Amino acid sequence: MQTESLKKRRRNITIAILCVITGLLFALPLLGLSVYFMHTLIGVFIWIIVANSLRLLGLSGQGSIGHAAFMAIGAYTSAILAKFLGWSPWITMPIGVLVTVIVGFLVAVPFTRVRGIYFTMVSLFFGIGVLAINQVFNKWTGGYSGIISIPRLFAYVKNPYYYFCLALMVVCLLIMYRLEHSRIGLTWKAVAQSYSVASSIGINEAWQRILCLGVSCTFAAIAGVAYAHYYVILTQETFSFNTSINVFVYMTVGGAGLFAGPIAGTAVLLIIPEMLRDLREYVPFVYAAILLIVLFLMPQGLAGLPAQLWQLIRRPAKAKLTTSDDKAGKRAP
Amino acid sequence: MNMILTSTVNGLVLSAIYILVALGFGLQLSIMGIFNFAHGAVYMIGAYVTYGLSVALGLNQWVSLLISVILVGASGLFLEKFCFRPFQNKPTHMIVMAIALIMILETIVEVTLGGVTRALPAFVPGIFKAGSISVDNERVLAFAIGAVLLAAMTFLIQKTKIGQQMLAVAQDAEGAALQGIDTHRIAATATVIACATAALSGSLMATIFSMNPFMGDNILLKAIQVVILSGIGSIGGILVGGLIMGFLNAFLPVFINASVGEVITILIVLGILLVRPKGLFGYELF
Amino acid sequence: MIRQVNVLLDISGLTKNFGGLIAVDHLSMSVGEGQIVGLIGPNGAGKTTVFNLITGVIRPSSGKVEFDGKNVTGKSPHFLASSGIGRTFQLTPLFTDFTTLENVVASYYLHPRSGFWDSLFNTPTYRRNEAYALEQSLKILDLVGLGKVKDERAKNLPHGYQKMLGIARALAVQPRLLMLDEPLGGMNTDEISFTMDIMAKVRSLGMTILVIEHNMQILDLCDHVVAINFGQKIGEGSVEEIRNNPDVIKAYLGEQNVA
Repeated sequence: MQTESLKKRRRNITIAILCVITGLLFALPLLGLSVYFMHTLIGVFIWIIVANSLRLLGLSGQGSIGHAAFMAIGAYTSAILAKFLGWSPWITMPIGVLVTVIVGFLVAVPFTRVRGIYFTMVSLFFGIGVLAINQVFNKWTGGYSGIISIPRLFAYVKNPYYYFCLALMVVCLLIMYRLEHSRIGLTWKAVAQSYSVASSIGINEAWQRILCLGVSCTFAAIAGVAYAHYYVILTQETFSFNTSINVFVYMTVGGAGLFAGPIAGTAVLLIIPEMLRDLREYVPFVYAAILLIVLFLMPQGLAGLPAQLWQLIRRPAKAKLTTSDDKAGKRAP
Repeated sequence: MNMILTSTVNGLVLSAIYILVALGFGLQLSIMGIFNFAHGAVYMIGAYVTYGLSVALGLNQWVSLLISVILVGASGLFLEKFCFRPFQNKPTHMIVMAIALIMILETIVEVTLGGVTRALPAFVPGIFKAGSISVDNERVLAFAIGAVLLAAMTFLIQKTKIGQQMLAVAQDAEGAALQGIDTHRIAATATVIACATAALSGSLMATIFSMNPFMGDNILLKAIQVVILSGIGSIGGILVGGLIMGFLNAFLPVFINASVGEVITILIVLGILLVRPKGLFGYELF
Repeated sequence: MIRQVNVLLDISGLTKNFGGLIAVDHLSMSVGEGQIVGLIGPNGAGKTTVFNLITGVIRPSSGKVEFDGKNVTGKSPHFLASSGIGRTFQLTPLFTDFTTLENVVASYYLHPRSGFWDSLFNTPTYRRNEAYALEQSLKILDLVGLGKVKDERAKNLPHGYQKMLGIARALAVQPRLLMLDEPLGGMNTDEISFTMDIMAKVRSLGMTILVIEHNMQILDLCDHVVAINFGQKIGEGSVEEIRNNPDVIKAYLGEQNVA
């Protein structure tokens, strides 16, 4: 029974720390945060939403490297409606999300028929496919050079965007956390571990995977529309295959096994290169160095570092640099 | 009529390049079970080493090509041991590793030679005429080299001992190890071959079209498409898959339009993945 | 012996043809409510295929499966689970990354059923359902003797425990028919008698059991036995009748001695 109250205390401490951090983030502009850093942080907030949505999808055993496509659908829909029909972004943004969710559920039906690495390949080509379709309709989407001068959410001041994106991120994270730790998430994790066992207890595993994809792309779309009406420029490069892979890297480097993983990965991989931007063309070396350090030294990713260090302190002899989940010689599925 | 002929020639040339790159990618996939996303970057580096040696240092271009193929091929040993082997069972980590490699290689090029699009002078300048057809000698060369290499690969796999061992490891790595086959040596051989062919095709591509630090990204996607079409684990089927992709990419942009052509190609690939994931040949064709 | 029993599961003419290989050949049998029926036969006789045909994992080439009077032939596995059939698997019985307790709690998916929005907003209904699931899961774990290892990762459990966890999971579905696929496989003597006690206990709680087993000791528990070989029925009847059936004995000769 002692462990129960210990667990509760740790939970309350964690919640308290999170509240303090969130409060700090909200207070930063008042404490004199420069416009430049605000711009960086807004980007971090938006990409954290996407990275965590990718992790959410991964709960059901589906790994996607084309997730930026869902951002693109939402972003372009909202941007086109706002720019060419003159509607307010506050109306076009929900529409953009809705359209993406519908598309998401529609493509999920054939896509979830395949699993594992095949699903990942499908996601790759879905991502490229959406871009290619974008090119086909370049009369409206601007093709390669994209859309510019998308109507803004607020005026030309940074602060409202900062608060908006921060609040958006907090809400999205809370919802995703809740999903993961409820029976919904439990069911998805069950499906990921064994389709046959999940079916035998009455779970419609195909539908659950479709549902997971649909929910995940909702968050991607939310991030996408926020992106469109803040950065006000969308090009072919914005939501390219590189973008999808980057988000995947943020999640993996941060630690795909932990909820905080994508948050840590996105923050570190977006902020550090920004801080070192004086190195100009050498910045990618730093980025690659971070990737390599995490790959070889931190099996659970950045977010797993505290736990890893704790293990090292407590049992230095037993601490290994590889996870105990290695199956020697087994081919990747 | 002229358009069809030109497109056919282009189709053959593209097929040759695609087959060369896809072979390397497919080898690494079937023998080591890894998705080497950095394969495109290796292709790019091969082109730049050839360029650097010939244009910047003034060496004979054929010699530069040879050195590039050998150097880049040999680097495959390093790649296999330190970059691929640790992540053989972890596809997610492999992707991150590949991204790190790509960043490093692309940045090296940008920092030394700059990101400007360049062209490598043709190995065999001039035009080849046969009746009403006229083709750059370079394209004929690319096709010829591709065909020869494919034949050599087939011979290697089917007739030599190491080829048979590679086949064994591709089908069942654990079983092969139990039979006494040195899987690490096989993996190293596969990687070296893959890197060498990538360097070769990159250099050829640089003479026919152009080169820039990001040329690898596009070719990687084409290689993946070829491997999906032919089937993961099938080396011989890559010939057919490569031809299909080459011709699709040569004809569709000319007769319809580039972006619609791309959509069609992607739909075909998606169709294969969803309906027949094993590809056209799967594990059957050698 | 003909007892007036309510037929829970009725199979008629069930056939599965794998492109030339006939795995199950016009099998007909029934399971009465409250009975323990054993499906026996040597290795490769087609027993697990029969299970998979009944539970919807594979589609029959022909034949009919009726559960509680309703035609459920060829329906999906999750449909059959919600109709009231729970099953275990021979080889991969669990959610390997979950703890023992999580395995069973996760299996309380159907009854009680919490909707998506209830789960998302943590409504009182949801909380009540989850508390019930937790409470019942602990009871089941105690029933099958896994209470002590409830927080162990399932993949770390020894083999016998894993099999018991498979049964616990199937029980969580609150099935009317419990189908066990080789529950005694790989167990030692103590584990075998423990498992058979569980099965008797489960039956006394009103559940019907259909069990595939290789090990003849299961006969002690069965009310009725069906023997198959090469996908065909070679004998059916009471335990005594089966024990003395020359075809059954012949089928097992070369395999093991009939107990």
